[in-house]
Amino acid sequence: MMLLSVDRINVAYGAARVLSEVSLTLDKGERVFVVGRNGAGKTTLLKTIAGFLTPTEGDILFDGEKVNAWHPEQMANCGVRYVYQDKRVFTRLTVRENIELAAFASKEKLDVAIDRVVQIYPKITQFLDTKAGGLSGGQKQLLLLGRALIGEPKVLLIDEPTEGLAAGIIEEVFKVLEMMKGKVSMIIVEQNLAVVCALADRVYAMKEGRILAQLTDPAEIQDHAILEQYL
Amino acid sequence: MISTIAYGLTIGAILYIISIGLSLTFGTMRIVNFAHALVYTVGAYALASTLSFFGGAFIPAAIFAVLAVIPLAYIIERFVIRRLYGQSIDYAIIATYAVLLIGVDACKWIWGATPISVSDPIGASWTILGVDLPIYRLIIILLSLLVFAALEIFFRRTIVGKVVVAGLEDKEATRSLGINVDKYFSFVFILGSCLAALGGALYVPITSLHPYMGFQVLLLSFAVVIVGGMGNMRGTFVAAFALGMVMAMTGRFWGAASETMVFVVMAIVLIVKPIEV
Repeated sequence: MMLLSVDRINVAYGAARVLSEVSLTLDKGERVFVVGRNGAGKTTLLKTIAGFLTPTEGDILFDGEKVNAWHPEQMANCGVRYVYQDKRVFTRLTVRENIELAAFASKEKLDVAIDRVVQIYPKITQFLDTKAGGLSGGQKQLLLLGRALIGEPKVLLIDEPTEGLAAGIIEEVFKVLEMMKGKVSMIIVEQNLAVVCALADRVYAMKEGRILAQLTDPAEIQDHAILEQYL
Repeated sequence: MISTIAYGLTIGAILYIISIGLSLTFGTMRIVNFAHALVYTVGAYALASTLSFFGGAFIPAAIFAVLAVIPLAYIIERFVIRRLYGQSIDYAIIATYAVLLIGVDACKWIWGATPISVSDPIGASWTILGVDLPIYRLIIILLSLLVFAALEIFFRRTIVGKVVVAGLEDKEATRSLGINVDKYFSFVFILGSCLAALGGALYVPITSLHPYMGFQVLLLSFAVVIVGGMGNMRGTFVAAFALGMVMAMTGRFWGAASETMVFVVMAIVLIVKPIEV
């Protein structure tokens, strides 16, 4: 069942067009990956779906409703959450307060929200009263993923979740993404092909602001050589 | 020397109460708001105009002055500031300076240009080491400490405060949680305006009241905000008192240079730590 559809959108920063005729679909419970070189437009695509950018042409449909001009707050409150790259937690707030903000936005009780984060990252209980700025990169990423799950979102847009992480931490992020399978639909921008091969239901390859190919066959998705040609 | 220190602390206290709103407005909205000086001036006039209505009682008149600027702050935020979000900082300077000029002329039209003086509401002093210190000034210092403590509690303990702290650090990430940050920033703008009005009301018995009083304090407040760090609440507190002492100490030995020295300190801070806009 289709949950989200991006239909031939164009997006521009001023006069510079960064996305051209981009189309993408996401079914309920599906895990779709977007791969491509730096500057291919992957982050712009996620930001547009999340409401931070408005397409100049084309449509974005979520749950059958046209959401082209929706603001990020509206998208988030309707269950579409954007998880930034660069581990953007609120460094001046504690881990508990980071969770509290997400709980406040989702109108969820704080203890329920903390439980959600603990479910995917049990060690977080040791750091609840630590300033989030003091966490390691991996801990920040797991906090971000946990925080995004508060309020039971329908779609997660996750930007480069394993970027800059040590191998051991990538393994933990991998397990979390695996654990979330079926519970929430995801569009994940990722350069780590091992992660893509292991977790993707479908893969979109982007180049210079366009969708170059869509891989749906599991044999193709698990073939590093095929994916590598798009990086 | 004791009276100089007391004077420095009083000026620091007033500067803190006025500057914190300016600092928050820049920190949250990235807007240099010259209209802040108008709110300060209107607060001062509101107090002076209603003192007789309240039978000379200073506290209700001051409370009225603080509340009276809320509609003005709302109008400035809604129809000027909100249109400047994300625009070049130059537009904000021009637009809010225009509001200040229009407002000052309106003040002149309503209250006239003749300076008005308001007497010290307490009119008593404490003698410390042989020096008479007006109790009113000591109360102002105490009040600034209370404002600082209240803001610390507000920003650290309340959910609205935490939203603002998060928004100050990363507005986009806060929005991506589903929080309409601008709504909370508007609230902070009005809170800061109320504090400016409080500063104006408290300063009236120390200085004379005239339509242009906001211009002088505006420049000093900007110096405080720059030295303390834009949007940095603790930094603003420390900078206000430090610059208040700089003014008082310089004034003691070289009266003509007391304000100039504040801007010398500001220039040194800018050289050491330039602002990224």
